[in-house]
Amino acid sequence: MTAPSFDAVKVGDAPPPLVCGPLTRTDFVRYAGASLDLNPNHHDEIYARANGNRSVFGMGMLAGGYCGRLMADWFGHAALARLRIRFVSRFWPDDVLTITGRVTAKRKIDGRRLVDCEITCVNQNGDIVISGDATAALP
Amino acid sequence: MDLSAADKTFPPYEFRVERGKIKEFADAIGDPNPIYRDPGATTSGVVAPPTFLRTFLHEPRTASEALKVKDWSYIVHGEQEFEYFAPVVAGDVLTANERIVSITEKESRRAGKLHIAVIETVFHNQRGEKVQVARRTLVETGQRIGD
Repeated sequence: MTAPSFDAVKVGDAPPPLVCGPLTRTDFVRYAGASLDLNPNHHDEIYARANGNRSVFGMGMLAGGYCGRLMADWFGHAALARLRIRFVSRFWPDDVLTITGRVTAKRKIDGRRLVDCEITCVNQNGDIVISGDATAALP
Repeated sequence: MDLSAADKTFPPYEFRVERGKIKEFADAIGDPNPIYRDPGATTSGVVAPPTFLRTFLHEPRTASEALKVKDWSYIVHGEQEFEYFAPVVAGDVLTANERIVSITEKESRRAGKLHIAVIETVFHNQRGEKVQVARRTLVETGQRIGD
């Protein structure tokens, strides 16, 4: 897709939220294989419970992948200049994650036209799973 | 964690970005975007999703081993950052250079004494262009994950 122009973007703009889930253990296993994150807490129920968890739980980077997806869909893959993902809480099988973004600032630096955004990923109860931010360089 | 590991660098490692692996990753994050599958969808070819290169940070254990963590069940991945300079495309051969940027100590009322390590990986492609920088923050807490 083509990136929107810098002038067309306003502080406060937000893309349609991205809704992922209800997530399954199969989603976690599939991401484990694709990402090589073989931490057994994410795919081995017996191990995860013995470790004090109520079940396996999702990889932070799976939800982080959804955040990257939101940004690439919003501004175009090639416009993405930076993405930062902070893992706030865990998520579990049957959770539904909603990822939202919002433009927080616009700036011009060294001839680059940059748009700063905040990204938030919450579960179905509104608990924050990821709090992140990103920058897109626009034409 | 070994606080003296800060500023350590590690031998570079090389890997190939495979088209099938990009599709598999896009499928795993439920992303239907054709740019991750169809070489004609962009002018550069099949490109890698924004968080794809994290995949290649699990294998070389040199940087994480240098932290001398006693028990990895006390470690949480606190933060992950990427900076993008040029597209990563299927067929690229990337070289990764890792460095432990910092290790700091912090007191937390909830989790006791924390050690926070930032590991930076700089990726160059086969033409010597810097394509991406990844920074991961690992936090050693006073409690096991799941407690």
